[in-house]
Amino acid sequence: MPTAVVLVLLAITVAFIVVIVARPEVTLARGGKILAFLALFILPVFGGLLGLENHIERSKQTSFCLSCHIMGDYGRSLHVDDPSYIPAAHYQNNRVPHDEACYTCHTDYTLYTGGIKAKFRGLHHIYAQYLGKPDHPVKLYTPYNNRECLHCHLGARSFEQGAVHNADPQIMANIKSNKLSCVSSGCHDMVHNVANLDKAKFWSPAQ
Amino acid sequence: MSETQPIAAKLRKSGILIILGLLVEALTLVWNHPLAFIAFIGISGLLMAIGILLYLWALVSHSTQKSAR
Repeated sequence: MPTAVVLVLLAITVAFIVVIVARPEVTLARGGKILAFLALFILPVFGGLLGLENHIERSKQTSFCLSCHIMGDYGRSLHVDDPSYIPAAHYQNNRVPHDEACYTCHTDYTLYTGGIKAKFRGLHHIYAQYLGKPDHPVKLYTPYNNRECLHCHLGARSFEQGAVHNADPQIMANIKSNKLSCVSSGCHDMVHNVANLDKAKFWSPAQ
Repeated sequence: MSETQPIAAKLRKSGILIILGLLVEALTLVWNHPLAFIAFIGISGLLMAIGILLYLWALVSHSTQKSAR
C-alpha cells in the first residue's frame, strides 16, 4: 500500500484518539465505546501492520541496501562496463528491475526468509554497521543458491539448450538440483568482484 | 463523569501512548533508512503495544469493578 495512504490512515487514527483523550466521557455512550475500540485497538493494530508491510517492501529497494556504507562497492559493481560481470550485465540490460536489483537476486536474504535465525542476522548487520566492525568484504552466510537464477532462467531457451549446460546430461540435473552452482569457478564466476573494482571501467547510463 | 474517572485516566494514558507510537511510525515511514525499521519496531511498536494493552486492561478492570459492585 502506498506510504501516503498509510499516513492518511494514521492521521485519521490520531484524530479519533484525540477525541477520546480530550473527552473520555464520550465512552459512556454505546457509540463512544465503539469509537474507543476502533481508535485504541482496531485502527492502531491495522496501522501497525500496514506500516510493517510498508517497511518490508521498502527494504527490498536497491537504495535501502546501498544505504549501508559497506555495500557501496556492490552498488558500484552494477555499473562495471564489462558483460562478464553477471550482476552488471543483468542490471544494465534491465534483466533485473533497477529499484529492486539486490533483492531480485538475493531473495533469501535475512529479512524475507530463513526464520528467527535470519532475523537475528539482520539485527547483527545493524549492530555491525553502527556499533561494531563489519566483515570486509562481506560474505554470504550460505552458498549462493541456484534458485535465485532459475526463477528467471528456468525454461528459457538460452539456459535449457545452452551447449555447456547440455554437454553432459548430469550437468543440467546438477544445476537444477543446486548440486552444481551457477557461479562455480569456470562457469558464471565473475560476480561482484569488488576487490578489482579499481581496475574496472564503468558504464554511465547518460552516455 | 464519576463513573468514567478511573477508566478515563487509563484511556488518556493509553491514547497518548498510541498517539506517540503512531507519530513515530509516521516519521519512520518518511525516513528511508535501515534505522527507520529499527525505530519502527523498537519505539513505535513498543509504545503502541503498551498503549493497546493498557486500553485492554482498562476495559477488563472496569468491567470487573462493575460486576463486583
